[in-house]
Amino acid sequence: MKKIFMAALLLVTMIFTGCGGSDSSSKLSVMLGSNVVSLDSAQATDVNSFELIADCIDGLMQLDAEGKAIPALAESYDVSSDGKTYTFHLRDAKWSNGDPVTADDFVFAWRRHCQSSAEYSYIMGDTVACVKNADAVIKGGDPKTLGVSAPDPKTFVVELDAPVSFFPSLMAFPTFYPINEKFYNSLEEGLYGTSPETFLSNGAFALASYVPGAANIQLKKNDSYWNAEKISIDGFQYQVVSSSDNALTSFKNGTLNVVGISGNQVEHVKENAELAKNLKTFSSGLLNYLSFNQDAKNHHAGALSNVNLRLAISNAIDRESLVNNFVMTGAKATYTAVPIDFAPNAKTGKFFAEDQKQFSDVVSFNVSKAQEFLSKAKAELGKENFDLNLIYSNDGDSSTKIVQAIKSQVEENLPGVKINLQPMPKAEYLSNVTSNSYDIALVDWVPDYNDPMTFLTLWTTSGCEIAEHWSNAEYDKIISDCSTGSLAEDYDARWSALYDAEKILLDNAVIAPLYTSANAVLISPNVEGIEYHVAGISRVFKNVKLK
Amino acid sequence: MNKDDFEFITDRDISVDENFSSQGYWKGVAVHFFRNKFAVTGLVLVSVIILFAVFAPIVSTYSYDQIVSVTDSSGKEFVAKSLEPQFGDGDAQNFFADKTFLFGTDDMGRDLWTRTWHGARVSLIIAFVAIFIDMLIGTSYGLISGYFGGFVDHVLQRFIEIAGSIPTLVIISILAIFMTKGIGLVIASLLITEWIGMSKIARAECLKLKEREYVLASRTLGAGSFHIIFKQILPNTIGPIITQVMFSIPVAIFTEAFLSFVGVGIVLPQCSIGSLIEAGFGNITILPYQILPPITVLAILMLGFNLIGDGFREALAPKLEDM
Amino acid sequence: MKKYIVKRILMSLLTLFIITFVLFVLIRIMPGDPFPVERMSAEMILQKREELGLNKPILEQFANYMSMLASGSFGNGTSLYNGAPIKPILTACLINSFKIGVLSILFGTAVGLAIGIVAALNRGKFLDGLCTLVSILGVCIPSYVFMIFLQYFFAYKIPFFPYFFDPSNFFASSVMPALSLSLFAISTIARFTRNEMLEVLNSDYVKLAEAKGLYGFELIRRHVLRNALIPIVTVIAPLVVSLLTGAMVIEKIYGINGVGKLMVDAIAGQGVDYNYVLALSIVFSALYIGAMLVLDILYGIIDPRIRLTTKEG
Repeated sequence: MKKIFMAALLLVTMIFTGCGGSDSSSKLSVMLGSNVVSLDSAQATDVNSFELIADCIDGLMQLDAEGKAIPALAESYDVSSDGKTYTFHLRDAKWSNGDPVTADDFVFAWRRHCQSSAEYSYIMGDTVACVKNADAVIKGGDPKTLGVSAPDPKTFVVELDAPVSFFPSLMAFPTFYPINEKFYNSLEEGLYGTSPETFLSNGAFALASYVPGAANIQLKKNDSYWNAEKISIDGFQYQVVSSSDNALTSFKNGTLNVVGISGNQVEHVKENAELAKNLKTFSSGLLNYLSFNQDAKNHHAGALSNVNLRLAISNAIDRESLVNNFVMTGAKATYTAVPIDFAPNAKTGKFFAEDQKQFSDVVSFNVSKAQEFLSKAKAELGKENFDLNLIYSNDGDSSTKIVQAIKSQVEENLPGVKINLQPMPKAEYLSNVTSNSYDIALVDWVPDYNDPMTFLTLWTTSGCEIAEHWSNAEYDKIISDCSTGSLAEDYDARWSALYDAEKILLDNAVIAPLYTSANAVLISPNVEGIEYHVAGISRVFKNVKLK
Repeated sequence: MNKDDFEFITDRDISVDENFSSQGYWKGVAVHFFRNKFAVTGLVLVSVIILFAVFAPIVSTYSYDQIVSVTDSSGKEFVAKSLEPQFGDGDAQNFFADKTFLFGTDDMGRDLWTRTWHGARVSLIIAFVAIFIDMLIGTSYGLISGYFGGFVDHVLQRFIEIAGSIPTLVIISILAIFMTKGIGLVIASLLITEWIGMSKIARAECLKLKEREYVLASRTLGAGSFHIIFKQILPNTIGPIITQVMFSIPVAIFTEAFLSFVGVGIVLPQCSIGSLIEAGFGNITILPYQILPPITVLAILMLGFNLIGDGFREALAPKLEDM
Repeated sequence: MKKYIVKRILMSLLTLFIITFVLFVLIRIMPGDPFPVERMSAEMILQKREELGLNKPILEQFANYMSMLASGSFGNGTSLYNGAPIKPILTACLINSFKIGVLSILFGTAVGLAIGIVAALNRGKFLDGLCTLVSILGVCIPSYVFMIFLQYFFAYKIPFFPYFFDPSNFFASSVMPALSLSLFAISTIARFTRNEMLEVLNSDYVKLAEAKGLYGFELIRRHVLRNALIPIVTVIAPLVVSLLTGAMVIEKIYGINGVGKLMVDAIAGQGVDYNYVLALSIVFSALYIGAMLVLDILYGIIDPRIRLTTKEG
């Protein structure tokens, strides 16, 4: 009995001695919306992981504030006249254990990534980077045949199957980052990148505290970084915040300096002049669209192989209402297959999807036209009622609202069409879309690199894993011509051919584009210099200054 | 035998105690129950919620999944989202001033009054269905185990011991992997977790009752086991079982709320108390009125059922001093 | 007594073994492969299945799994945190959860006892009603709702406690989660204590002691509490388990790397990680069974009457 009272007493003492109010040091604290999946650049698949890897590791190139590729570990590079061979000259940089960063670290990492058959190994292959023999290695070939070599420790040579106009900017993407081979091999299998001790950094920051799934990640400045004198903060921390309400309140009381907020909160923040000053909106280059499964074998989807039904649904959705009433974070209604404010033309500087009206005859909000399409579809299919499942990943706050709004709009505007919502965790959702077991799926696709191709290759016959079961020879030909074929070397011809491909896609209503996402962010006034990018690494903290 | 076979011998001077006059068992329970202020309060609270849950969605202007919108003079459509509670007498500034939203609207522009009562209805239905089936399974299991005793009891009890050693969270997790989210998953988890308590009570009662004279008499007269279990013993175990049910229903409502909150429960736009709390949770500091109705309803239901359960338990086994 | 303890321990081990087996089989018969197959060719899938030993008969797989457990390893994850070994992660999470769990049980027991005792001593008066109300509130309000109110008032309105969990400032930052988790314990223990106290207060020996002239705190301490406390030990075991469930949400909101959050990640994160689910389920079951075992034995030691009755059953 005495012991219990003692324990209670002790507890009370601990409570009142332990808390010294909130920690108001000038340390930078940044919110992450979800867990970091992996620090292994071959295994990482999400923006958070890419961001953290890029905080700690430098690649050959990096992106400046405008998104242009500038040298990082590579001091300079040469391109052969046919554009198929890149020779990178590495600067003197060190890993955090003191080892020099060598070209062999790149060779090791690139081979390993191709071999791992991980989600992002495709980026080495012919649809994107076109590294020689990458596709063969991914399919199980000899990794030694991959078109990379290290003639000396400071020279890294890459051979490509075709010229890739955006290759240097690709080099800023974490899949192309180096890994210290000796260090990696000294670790037990599966341990790489699971703690500060099992991870090496050569970039601006090093891990101070990290465990897989950590809710709080501490980074410290890496003093052995080649550009260390440019780094003005001593480190910063990430805090995983799962409730959007927590994000806002923790910003208000100063616990976090950089938080992402939900649509409802944007409206709230705008009403508060003091807070509104801190509000910034960044286009994320992320396209949200509805994917229609056209596989005729699928019981429900059989109906969706009818183009008029797909067009009817696409034209029955009021995208403006979606973004203004339900997303609200500054997202833009999108009527093209490539998102807005993305992929500027290298010559004119105009964004690829600048003209949102160009496909307005097939993608718009027009109830009477939608109903016309529907009556055609009904006549062609001989059916009056369509019962369709809409699957979505319920991890995001906005997707849940979006699908409910779509259900309501489609059911109201298209009599006879019924939509059943099927939320699922991300993994289950992914396995459903990849195995073709869905009718309609709400997809959000993050661009991996700043070129329309990151979207348009999704819908080729062999394309990405979200297969609508749609195949069009003409479309495939344009895409392959543009990536490795005849058009790859002619910038303007390629650009206009991509519009032709987009037209085929939208005429057939393979997808119904919805909107381009934007991130609404609150940033403390004393934090400056966070760089936001639409493709690849979404945030860069290297040049942050605290006032 | 019944009470008609007996009569008071009236010519002797026997008076019936006025305080503890002879009365039926259930009547006695009812008297005790209704004498308990707390229990009656609980009963009133629960009845009110049930009445609203049944009738409010029926008489409401809106349906629970209807996104309310209006068009202004220029033909622009507005969604009535995130409106604070209003009573249809508002100022002219507001397009929706003429509409009544007693609890306001949610961030999708749906009437929270309708959704709250619809959600309460869904939660109550889930709880009642799950607990009713639990009661059937648990009671039969417990009675059979207790009545037959010996080897049967031993096997059945070891099974319960093992099944009861799996934490609820583990059962729910495994179910969440196997089943698709929705009402089915919620009911299944309640079915698997709640029957054990029932069966333990039924068994304990059965062990007590099976040695009673009336059971012995019936057995001597040749009644079959199942006749005895379900016709003779069961009616006498109903009291404690109903008490257990009264305590299980709030647990079921709570579990539903938990499951919906972590995202494996009700699928939107369908709603339950849990999913409404979850929806309001993300906006709790900026739109606090959205989470208040479901939390209040949940708290009232929990309180009500617990009070009823307490009252029932005391009424079944009144202590002398309570009389 | 020794015999009883040994028997009880063996029973618990057997139960745990059976549960492990059932969970193992359940998880193995799940449709699909326990690793991401989206980008794998048929050959690679076959190879991976071979590598993981999924082709073997299920009993053999189970034997292998048990021998792995016996060697102190839980194997590697299948999808979560890209296949890192489970044990270090699980241990770190367990320690965090354990600390907060112990804190909330301590807190819950202390406050619960206090409320229960006050209520019993003031039976039927205003204080009793108040204590009943408090204890009923704990059962009526989910811990996560309580958590959010605490966070709003004591971390935001009055920045008294840190907003998120911070291992380097453990005690200050664990007050709010421990408090929210203990709400349920407080109400359960308070209710139970009140009832037990009342029973003891009405017992003959207390009346006798009273008659002999013992009164006030001394009477309560020497005769009432000691006897009333014994049954309270029994409610603590189920509380340990209810903590796990509550922790699932609290840990997520407050940013604690604990087992609850790990379970959420294992089920709904990047994909169902079968090995994590299995390992966590075994650990949860072991914790529960262990808690019950300890309390049973404790109970037997405290109250000799129990041993006599358990022998019959």
